[in-house]
Amino acid sequence: MNEFSLLLKPSPSAHRRLSPAHAPSSSSLQPCNGCNRSSAIFLLSPSSSLSLEAEAKSEEAMLLSRSTRPILSPFLRKPKPSRLPKPFSSASASASALTPPTPRSPATTAHVPEDPTPLFLRPPTHPVPAPSLAAFRRRAAALVPPNAPHLHRHLRWLLADASSSTANPDPAVHLLRAPLDELEALWLRHVRDRRPFQYVVGNEHWRDLVVAVRDGVLIPRPETEAVVDMVGSVEGFGDGWWADLGTGSGAIAVAVARMLGPRGRVFATDVSEVAVEVARLNVERYGMQDKVEIRHGSWFEPLEDVKGKLMGVISNPPYIPTDDLPGLQPEVGWHEPKLALDGGKDGLDHLLHLCEGLSSALKPGGFFVFETNGDKQSEFLADFISTKWSSSFCNVEAVLDFADIKRFVRGYRR
Amino acid sequence: MASRLLTRSTAAVLLSHLRSRAPNPTHHILPHGTAMSSLLGPTHGLPATARSCPLREPARWFSSPAPVVEAPRTADGMTVDAIADKGWTILAEAESDWRSHAAAVAQSIKLIKKRLKWKWLLERSKQLAVVLERPDLWEDPVFAGKVSREQGELMGKIKSVNQFEQELMEHIDMLRLAREEGDNELETESMRALADMRRNAKEKELNALLSGDNDSYPCFIEVQAGAGGIESMDWAAMVMNMYRSWAQRRGYAVTVVEEMPGEVAGIKRATIKVDGDYAFGYAKSEIGVHRLVRISPFDSGKRRHTSFAAVAVIPILGDASSRYQINDSDLRIERFRSGGPGGQHANTTESAVRIVHIPTGTTATCQNERSQHMNKASAMAVLQSRLDQLEITRQAQMNAEHTQSLSEISWGNQIRSYVLHPYRMVKDLRTNYEVSDPDSVLEGDLDDFIFNFLSSSLDKDDGNV
Repeated sequence: MNEFSLLLKPSPSAHRRLSPAHAPSSSSLQPCNGCNRSSAIFLLSPSSSLSLEAEAKSEEAMLLSRSTRPILSPFLRKPKPSRLPKPFSSASASASALTPPTPRSPATTAHVPEDPTPLFLRPPTHPVPAPSLAAFRRRAAALVPPNAPHLHRHLRWLLADASSSTANPDPAVHLLRAPLDELEALWLRHVRDRRPFQYVVGNEHWRDLVVAVRDGVLIPRPETEAVVDMVGSVEGFGDGWWADLGTGSGAIAVAVARMLGPRGRVFATDVSEVAVEVARLNVERYGMQDKVEIRHGSWFEPLEDVKGKLMGVISNPPYIPTDDLPGLQPEVGWHEPKLALDGGKDGLDHLLHLCEGLSSALKPGGFFVFETNGDKQSEFLADFISTKWSSSFCNVEAVLDFADIKRFVRGYRR
Repeated sequence: MASRLLTRSTAAVLLSHLRSRAPNPTHHILPHGTAMSSLLGPTHGLPATARSCPLREPARWFSSPAPVVEAPRTADGMTVDAIADKGWTILAEAESDWRSHAAAVAQSIKLIKKRLKWKWLLERSKQLAVVLERPDLWEDPVFAGKVSREQGELMGKIKSVNQFEQELMEHIDMLRLAREEGDNELETESMRALADMRRNAKEKELNALLSGDNDSYPCFIEVQAGAGGIESMDWAAMVMNMYRSWAQRRGYAVTVVEEMPGEVAGIKRATIKVDGDYAFGYAKSEIGVHRLVRISPFDSGKRRHTSFAAVAVIPILGDASSRYQINDSDLRIERFRSGGPGGQHANTTESAVRIVHIPTGTTATCQNERSQHMNKASAMAVLQSRLDQLEITRQAQMNAEHTQSLSEISWGNQIRSYVLHPYRMVKDLRTNYEVSDPDSVLEGDLDDFIFNFLSSSLDKDDGNV
């Protein structure tokens, strides 16, 4: 939880200025109980204000700029019912909260024709006069509430990603990768609907990669960067065969493949067709087609032919306990695929399934690392693997992430 | 040599004619050339010597492998010093007077030698030659590489100056010959060549200003606001903008590494990276405290305010062997933490990274990149340069010539004053150079200040270190 936890409140006048068609009205909202409930929990959750304090502390420790520190707004502490798209209603609290729904006003969605190509990869074919662009920049900046200064950074990046990378011959006209009204709609959805910034621009900068992402694919997290370093520290990793299970955007698979030697391979599986498509795009973008093989299917299923030949198994499976899903940050809970987040009752469903398939998939001496929900889950898993399969695995341990949370479980097959 | 001569015009033919008449004009050059080359002995064939200072022009008349130590002379035995001492009147460049041109070039050569610390240069290269002859030298390849590289650089400088002197002597000889033989065409050509040399000499004078050890490297420029709140943070931002536009004017690439904005306006502190040849050599002139006097736009009472901003400049060394060795275990890496359960729970684009070098307390922060991984890499580069800087400082304390880091710059060390009110002026307190147009300076027109400082700091010592 972080600065995003603040509910954004674009002023109604700003909405009017941006585009009357996009202005939310309660009548245009679909009645949506789950939505109400999730925002209720989000606003009232004591953990959200606690985590903000924790963040403020850690930021102080980092001597970061003040402008990135969100100011606790009275608005957050005392949520008032408003005419904004996320009406507050405790009456619906009993409704099923298992599925954090995606609140979208039909006006917005109708206006954004979904182009599956990520924004930053589209050709810069839309000429926009400099004054129009400057006016857009002003309108968009006016939507940024003072308690969410990070949105200014997003606006800067959005315009950077939307602009042509090559030198512009005519400074009076900018070539953009999308028409200005589409950018307006994207920005509005980001600010108002809390659609993750990474989906807006279609990429996430992860390690030294720019990973293409889109709705339906989990956005790679900075914590996961460490997995690649762990692979790199395994003796002789460069010539081995590796499996990245539930590869999602393919970030791990591409990053690992880029370190491998001529004989090294990565088999990346995912049950989601969108994920397979996006992973394939990322593999191609980094020219790793010869090293990474993407296979459609659940966990170990598509890997029968390499069983017992793998030097390593890596996975960042869904691990959030189902009951925690409604309390997630809106960017995550409302927009990212539940398939990639929901780990079942204790969050362990998929992790345990992976552990069971491990010993037959790995060759002797093989390495594995899984990302987990944190301290308790890692401790439990490490203990569980070393107790239940003590004859199969050794050096099983929980590993800290950069926030000192036991984020990973790793070990070796005997 | 013959083939080189063939490529020249009639002038060359005439000159060779002259040389055949003069009593062996090369006698004072070749013996020393061979002496030098034997002195250099082991450096031959080293890659380091191969990339010695790039010469503006290939060797013209003499392809002797080593530069000349003794001053070249004209056919009648004049040296550059002798010409400079003759006190010939130096007229405007447009005037066709060979004595004037020759005197101007000779003066330039004297100045260049002074700036290069000529005597020290010759002394140092002799010392290095002795070191390079030691039979056990290559038992320590890192040291040997360093020595031979330094020698290569020194020789390059010596050679290029000597060639320039040689060229002057040849043009003078040729001009005299042309007069003797009444060859107008040759006379005009030699005159033009001398005038060209005069222009080149000015350029070489400037280049000689940047002959310091680290001058050719890119650098970081750091600006920090002094006490005084909004007004001084705004001033710091103005100073930073001045350097950004200065760097852009010079064609350097500028990237923001770290920026700590002020609450209301301006910056508390910021670091930019300036990439390009001689970025450090120029920017080092800016180290110190910059003072602004103006009516503050942030003061509703419209009073006059004085504020300060400190500037530090750190070279980014390219040469791995001279860099500070960082132990991974000495580092503490702090990253942005979302504070909650993290992992799949959180989505944040905040990726600032701060690295602390525990033994020295040196820190570096980067928040410019979009991934933590890249921010860490950038912060590491900054940290490496800061530690290199500490190391340079430590080594340079013996030489008394050192650049300071931001923390060392005392606020009393004012180098330049920018007054916008009650009068308008920018004055460098070190050189007393001043201009009455602060706006153009704040828009990055800094070169005159820089050249003035560089020449005054180099020309005031007598060059005999």
